[in-house]
Amino acid sequence: MIAIDKLCYNSKLRYENAGEKFAFAVITLCICVMGRRISTSCIVLAVTGILTVYKGGIPASRYARYMTAPLAFLLLSTAAIMVQVSQTPLDLFAVPVGGWYITSSSASFQYAMQLILTALGAVSCLYFLAFTTPVPDILEVLRRLHVPALMIELMLLIYRFIFVLLHAASAISISQDCRLGNKDYRTALKSFGMLGSVLMIRAIGRSNRLYDAMEARCYDGTIRVLSESRPPKKKVICWIVIFDAALLLFAVWRRWLV
Amino acid sequence: MSKIQKKIIALAAVFALSFGIMPVSNAMHIMEGYLPGGYCIAWGALCVPFVIAGFLSIKKRLAEHRNLITLLAMSGAFIFVISSLKIPSVSGSCSHMTGTGLGAILFGPSAVSILGLIVLLFQAILLAHGGLTTIGANTFSMAIAGPFVSYGIYRVCQKANVNRKVSVFLAAALGDLITYCVTAGQMALAHNADTTVGGALVKFLAVFAPTQIPLAVIEGILTVVIVMGLESYAKPELKAAGFLKEAK
Repeated sequence: MIAIDKLCYNSKLRYENAGEKFAFAVITLCICVMGRRISTSCIVLAVTGILTVYKGGIPASRYARYMTAPLAFLLLSTAAIMVQVSQTPLDLFAVPVGGWYITSSSASFQYAMQLILTALGAVSCLYFLAFTTPVPDILEVLRRLHVPALMIELMLLIYRFIFVLLHAASAISISQDCRLGNKDYRTALKSFGMLGSVLMIRAIGRSNRLYDAMEARCYDGTIRVLSESRPPKKKVICWIVIFDAALLLFAVWRRWLV
Repeated sequence: MSKIQKKIIALAAVFALSFGIMPVSNAMHIMEGYLPGGYCIAWGALCVPFVIAGFLSIKKRLAEHRNLITLLAMSGAFIFVISSLKIPSVSGSCSHMTGTGLGAILFGPSAVSILGLIVLLFQAILLAHGGLTTIGANTFSMAIAGPFVSYGIYRVCQKANVNRKVSVFLAAALGDLITYCVTAGQMALAHNADTTVGGALVKFLAVFAPTQIPLAVIEGILTVVIVMGLESYAKPELKAAGFLKEAK
């Protein structure tokens, strides 16, 4: 149902140590966002892209489709940053409309390009994490980072329930379709509302039964799951440290020294 | 035709095509890497008191009623699922609810701040909506500002004896609009290259308005249908679970 979740369980990097992958993705992401230079972002984009597609074995076409997913947001908001409406034309282009100009400067074009590439670089870091590390592994890392136990427990339960509820929702919407529940716009709105309320009622019922089941199995406030942690490999850690240190130096040089 | 003009026309064509084909999905999550580092940290820091307050209130409630944990988790999953389902929309593009108003009305704003944070994290990891560095900004607009405003409107309407349907509609629709305004404000603060913050804010508002204003109305209507459905079919269950205390 959730494609990213399915793909990451099949990734070839799934059985690498989760801490390594998490550290690599987050540190690279921070350098990319802090660096904010076209060159830095291109390096990040290339490295994480190659790692996800070739090392991870995610189909390249899928990866490309996911990279273009946030395009609508990117285009709209970058247009808002770049394009001005003013009475004086700027240097890049100017389209006269009445007494005003729809115009843009080359400085803001440069800024927009930088922004788009930084965002894409950052998204590729996020995808590296999402496409190689299943959520339970990420939660295990968060537990090591001393996120409160209650939060971890809530997250674990929510992760499980998302699939339960999605399954119920898809069954309901299929049967609504069968019974002409989406025949026109009015009915579609009503059907969606009914789906929402029935889903909530089902969720309450299920959660009560689940709690009873947990109590019956001696639930005392913590859910213990077997963590299949693979030991970190020295070689991988070395490579991560070398790459991120080099990237950091490069980013600092591009940002403040050039 | 000069070179620049050609470029403009090509750009405009790409733009028009992307509007025609691309589903404007969850346009109001600020995407990964879009905010500079300083702003990410600042918005994250702003969320911390709300998240801690929400965490403590959840902890207190759980200490009294341990069995609420599964219900809370189901509620979080419910918010995730309801915001990931395609809603019927007029233009044919696929769009989603934010679920902020519904969550605030059902669960109260303090619980929603925690659940919203978790839901946003999962949306980033599982659906690639939003991101890890922008999670502070997104939490502030979707899990804090929106729900608090929704809840405030809902309570005020109830005090003033406004029709229940109207008050639920207003809470959900205005909560959605507030989320959109706050997001535009966050982006305007971070990116105002050529103009002032105010100018940038107007531009961001204008760019997102065509998708967001109809969406707010649809979200309001859907929330009314959902809440009404819950009240007519599941009043005893909801009361037992501690929701809808004031719905006598």
